[in-house]
Amino acid sequence: MSEKTFNIILFTLLILCVLITAALIVYTVIQYHYVSIIHFIAKEPW
Amino acid sequence: MKGKKNGKTGSVLAGQLLVLAAAVLIFALLWSVIWIFVTSRCVSDASDEMKSKMIDVSRNLPFDESSHIVRYRAETILEGDLPVLDGAAALFPLYSAFTEAIYPEESVVYDEKSGDFDPASALQFHNTVRGFNALLDGSVDVFFSAYPSEEQLESARKAGVTIRFVPIGKEAFVFLVNEKNPVDSLTQEELRGLFTGKITNWKQVGGADRPVHPIKRIAGSGSQSTLEAFLGGEKVYTNPLGFMGASIGYSFRWYTTEVVKEGGVKILSVDGVYPDPDTVSDGTYPLSTKFYAMYRTDNENGNIQTLLDFILSEEGQELIEKSGYCRIGAD
Repeated sequence: MSEKTFNIILFTLLILCVLITAALIVYTVIQYHYVSIIHFIAKEPW
Repeated sequence: MKGKKNGKTGSVLAGQLLVLAAAVLIFALLWSVIWIFVTSRCVSDASDEMKSKMIDVSRNLPFDESSHIVRYRAETILEGDLPVLDGAAALFPLYSAFTEAIYPEESVVYDEKSGDFDPASALQFHNTVRGFNALLDGSVDVFFSAYPSEEQLESARKAGVTIRFVPIGKEAFVFLVNEKNPVDSLTQEELRGLFTGKITNWKQVGGADRPVHPIKRIAGSGSQSTLEAFLGGEKVYTNPLGFMGASIGYSFRWYTTEVVKEGGVKILSVDGVYPDPDTVSDGTYPLSTKFYAMYRTDNENGNIQTLLDFILSEEGQELIEKSGYCRIGAD
């Protein structure tokens, strides 16, 4: 794969990953707003 | 020569693929951390028991056959100028039960589509912050909640409003942790340390080697005001990476009893005393707290006193007890 192709793929991949991360964070913040504290503690990983 | 070139191209390609895979792997790791420590804990899969303690007004309405409130109808029903009732979420099933006990049925108008009470309804639900403001502006006559926060009292002073607080029942302020947290009991001093940042790791109080994550509620909520009073003016410590540690939260006992039976969380003993109905009633549990019916002293509606007389009567106190709270005169 040429360097140019590699850079395009890498750049696209990074953009995609950043977008997915942003979407996950937004979704989490929205859910966190509605969750009860009790529920949040009950599902804590131990 | 050609073979050497092919070999070089192959290793470059392998390196490129490795970079791409590493980029995906780093992000996948980040997503996993976010998902495991936060997102999955926020996605609700609450059972019916749990939902019954999450205040859904439509399931706790008076004069509704399917309502979850304690059903009681007194012999004497209020007439004339009916006091408008409002209050904290945790107390809604209680003042809804008071409404059913002594208000005329037609005084409550609820629109199921919008999920709101009609402005003319004698029963309203705006929760602690907006409900208290409604008491100050006079659109609500009697407000039910824990003792207001200093900010709320200040806003009352600024508005030139004097409020009378009538204690009507008792509740326990409780602290919750995950059931797998090895800590079962804390002193009040340790609890203050956990919430103010003086204690930042559970091992400092005999627990696991995990950071403390004190969870805050919204400002002005009944439980947040009670915590602030408990901390004596000190601010709640915030740990930005605390969600990766072990949490401690707080609430009122009424919210938690059924949920605790389901597992997942446990209530901590305070100073070695577990908050059960007996220890809350007799005051042995150190964080028993009163809740109040509040009204403006300049409110001349005579039915307010009649309502309070009912609440403080044997009938009213029994209604409080059956609704899951403790009598005011129990200690």
